[in-house]
Amino acid sequence: MTAVSQILLLISKDVRIEARSRQTLGLVTVLAVLIIVVLGLGLGGRPAAFDATAVLWVAYLFSGVLCFEKTMSVERHDGALAALMIAPMDRGVIYAAKLISNLLLMFAIAAIVTPAGVLFFQFDLSAAPLQFAAVMAAAMIGFAAVGTLFSAVASSTRLQGGLLAMMIFPITLPLVITSTQMLIHLFRDHEPIGGLGLGILLAFDAIFLTVSWLVFEWVLEP
Amino acid sequence: MLNRKSAFAAFWIFTLALFTVATARVIYYTPDEATMGPIQKVFYLHLPVAINTFLACLVTFVASIGYLSSRTSWWDDLASAAARVSVQLCTIVLLTGMIWGKCAWGQWWTWSPRLTFSLVLWLLYTVYLIIRSSIESAERRALISAVYAIIAFLDVPLVYLSVRLMPDIHPASIELAPEMKLTLATWFAAVTVFTAGLIAAKYGLNRMERGLLSRSEQNAQVAAVGGFAC
Repeated sequence: MTAVSQILLLISKDVRIEARSRQTLGLVTVLAVLIIVVLGLGLGGRPAAFDATAVLWVAYLFSGVLCFEKTMSVERHDGALAALMIAPMDRGVIYAAKLISNLLLMFAIAAIVTPAGVLFFQFDLSAAPLQFAAVMAAAMIGFAAVGTLFSAVASSTRLQGGLLAMMIFPITLPLVITSTQMLIHLFRDHEPIGGLGLGILLAFDAIFLTVSWLVFEWVLEP
Repeated sequence: MLNRKSAFAAFWIFTLALFTVATARVIYYTPDEATMGPIQKVFYLHLPVAINTFLACLVTFVASIGYLSSRTSWWDDLASAAARVSVQLCTIVLLTGMIWGKCAWGQWWTWSPRLTFSLVLWLLYTVYLIIRSSIESAERRALISAVYAIIAFLDVPLVYLSVRLMPDIHPASIELAPEMKLTLATWFAAVTVFTAGLIAAKYGLNRMERGLLSRSEQNAQVAAVGGFAC
């Protein structure tokens, strides 16, 4: 069995579990919409359109952390992770599969939550929808790369839920700063996406995908 | 020949002497900056401490790589000591930066790139210390913190680049008179020696604590075996 087919097998297992239980997607989407509503009301009910990018990021960050926790905690039931670890496959394959499962979940959540943010904040995405999607997708890949690694750490050391967020948030701040600044320049100042911003996002993705894939083997414990 | 205690005392007396010279230079031999006035003198502490924060972070990074490659506990003790010092130094950088901000721009905090960068750096290494205190198993603690420290250090240049996208009100560069440069060099020497001493002292404490813990574990095992034999 090749690594690719092993990855596909693990992803299809995660997708099947989610399709049958619909626990993670339902829970996390409602949480993300709640965050948008609470922040919208907290900003006085008349938030500026450009607050939307920051508010969406807050929703993505918290729902992402919940996704990472859920997808890894599924493996804790009935010793599934221990069984997975003794299977004849590279640990990097487990990392890649979990990463892609997390990304699929996050993209699904973003597809529901982003229109809600656009609606509540009167944020006009029509000026550059593809650039918005590209920036957010690049940022989410880096976020999921770090999140997948640390969810394995948190689950194997029985760290409390809050600590997972605490580990991931400071590391992913360059993604938040870069993408929000890029989107502000894009939508408010009508400037094209800068090379520096895109370079930072891609460098983050490349560095943390590689490092997380390399060290995942060490941090994973049944 | 100096024993360990005397060498330790001599080192800290030397550090104190360096700080005395540096303080005297700031007060008596360094002119006030033209636009900022006397408050600019906080810069002589701010910049050397900021540079030493990076050096302490670098020590944590190198020690973490050392731990992952050799799995020997002294690397972990060194990483922990350096991280603790980097958080303390970064706190000083933030506080002196805020004092500067209040005098220069009339507010304690602005989301200027450099202040934001210091804050993110402080958060990264504070979380490192929290992770360490949250994991009970010594081996898992060392492993997870080493992984986190490497990732945190690799994050630092990205944080630096990302904050450059934010609007900046910081001065791009400061022109220093020769007396000012000499004072800055004196402060840099004093702070660097102090940082090295602090890391060494904390490393020594970590080693001592690890030795005591392993001795008490051995005693507990001996007592358990003795109880079983009776």
